[in-house]
Amino acid sequence: MSTEENLARESKPASQPPAPEAQANVESAPKPADGLTGYSPAPLPPAARGAKKKRKDVEIAIRVNKVVKRFGSKTAVDGVSLKVKAGSVYGLIGPNGAGKTTTFSMLAGFLKPSSGEIEVLGYAPTQVDELRSRLGVLPQDALLPPWDKVGEFLMHMARLQDVPADRVEAECREVLEEVDGKDWWNVRCSQLSHGMAKRVQLAQALLGEPEIVLLDEPTAGLDPRVAYEIRQLIKRRKGRCTLIVSSHNLQELEEVCDAACILDRGRVVASGSITELTASSEEVRIKLGAGPAPVAVVRELPMVKRVEFDEERRELVVYFDRGQVDAETVIGHVLWALLQNQARISGVTKGKGLEQRVMELT
Amino acid sequence: MNPFVETRHIIQRELRKNLRSVKGIALAVLTLLGGSSIALLIAKYNDFKREEMGQISPEELHMLREKALARLYEEDTAKWLADAPEVLLALLSFTVWLAPLLIALMGFDAISPDIQHRTVRYWTIRSRRWSYFLGKWAGLWATVSIVTLAMDAIIWGVCVVRGEADVATTLSWGVRFWLTSLPLSAIWCSIAVLISSLFRVPMVALLVTFATFFTLWVVYLIANVAHLDPLLYLYPNHYDHLMLDPKAYRFGTGVLASFGMTALFVAGGSALFARRDV
Repeated sequence: MSTEENLARESKPASQPPAPEAQANVESAPKPADGLTGYSPAPLPPAARGAKKKRKDVEIAIRVNKVVKRFGSKTAVDGVSLKVKAGSVYGLIGPNGAGKTTTFSMLAGFLKPSSGEIEVLGYAPTQVDELRSRLGVLPQDALLPPWDKVGEFLMHMARLQDVPADRVEAECREVLEEVDGKDWWNVRCSQLSHGMAKRVQLAQALLGEPEIVLLDEPTAGLDPRVAYEIRQLIKRRKGRCTLIVSSHNLQELEEVCDAACILDRGRVVASGSITELTASSEEVRIKLGAGPAPVAVVRELPMVKRVEFDEERRELVVYFDRGQVDAETVIGHVLWALLQNQARISGVTKGKGLEQRVMELT
Repeated sequence: MNPFVETRHIIQRELRKNLRSVKGIALAVLTLLGGSSIALLIAKYNDFKREEMGQISPEELHMLREKALARLYEEDTAKWLADAPEVLLALLSFTVWLAPLLIALMGFDAISPDIQHRTVRYWTIRSRRWSYFLGKWAGLWATVSIVTLAMDAIIWGVCVVRGEADVATTLSWGVRFWLTSLPLSAIWCSIAVLISSLFRVPMVALLVTFATFFTLWVVYLIANVAHLDPLLYLYPNHYDHLMLDPKAYRFGTGVLASFGMTALFVAGGSALFARRDV
């Protein structure tokens, strides 16, 4: 599916321009230059080969342009394009085999695209020196070196990141403390539990305060408490750096991400801000208990565009024009009308939830 | 960061890892034990030889040694080597022949388990692929050099204590022979690391390393028997003939050829590693 088709599946009316946030976060059609960073797909601009771009110079942290990755005859990623705004939290969503980890691995420079271009902070992901200490990566299934002690491993990583010699140990201890692992300094990596290892992996990704942090399944296989703590850690990092999170856990992504793209069979099937993806600025879902369902009354409300009622699930879906009114106002009016007509309300949600959206698209 | 600084950090880690791991310690101990046993055997043989050949003068013994060495080396080299203590000459042969085995066992998992378990991904975002490869090779070479130096040092001690040669002669020949073994082990290390980087499964890397080393040895044997001289230079240990030559230009050629061959494998391995997906 082409990026233009992806756009079509977003089914946004022409009269409704996308939210500014969405414009900045999502690129469905490649542009030769966008005026933000002097970007041109290939070759890299001369400036990119010179001095490192400082944080303030970069508005678009990651650009992916028509990237294809083939493994033999199998195409794992097929023409993916996306754009991630600096400072945002961006999700890569999709079922198994959708191409999330392959896309992620290309962003980190582990895999080379068969065609297309990728820029991370204006550089190719393989330009290690330019991206040193600016890009942190938590790979999904990369084991820690078993013979190294946690402290030694982190210090070696910090040295390779060019952390000043007098700051190496302090920085490693700080980042280990941030993941709640300050007592593990002298523990061998082979002796860490899965949860502990994941946190050490996260610590190495956060070393040196990188501008971009790529997290592949950061909470996979973790117990709910540790997963919660990692989510909180990601939230704390929000605004301090750009975070790209690849995950199966849609509730988690909905909770932490500003924007996301949904992949299926190697292609982008939808992308945008979480608000757009969940249509939370276009529809309200109201679960009704047993009793009357005054659909007609709701339909007559002036801000309501359309109403659907699923009798089996007893769910009322109210569509409205997001350019005219916000979801909170609609909820107020709709609930008022329902209560006036003796309806019993058991739940209200804005939009359809990321999970449902993904189920529809993949 | 300067790529050589990256390489230095990786070498330091490799040394720490190799000399501290169970495998590294076991191999080092076995090498030292093996070396010491050989030294004692040679000493015993020398005792036996002195008893049996007591009537032969040192000059005649020197002539005999020179003739024996002339079967292996060129005339000048044989004449020069005949002055060296026999124990140290045997040690050189032992070091040169043992090194490939030691290198195969220490080097097969230089890179391949990092690829298998994707541990390499922590490095590829922080160091250039070629400096990672260079660091792995140099780390292995440094480890092997340290282990062989330790083994040699024990034998130098045995040589001095048993009165085979005085301290100055022992150190002079011993250090020279140890230095001669270094460019040779550099080649073997580069081949081992190259193979290790090509296979995800360490056991496969080990088998291929052994197979490659064995094949090189067989080619050397065939070339020797069939007098196919150019083929002899495919076998890394053959360069000792050049490096043991007293003539400076032949020694220089040997050193250059060894490091040239090493550079070829390291550069080729780095290039392949830089192109591959990890």
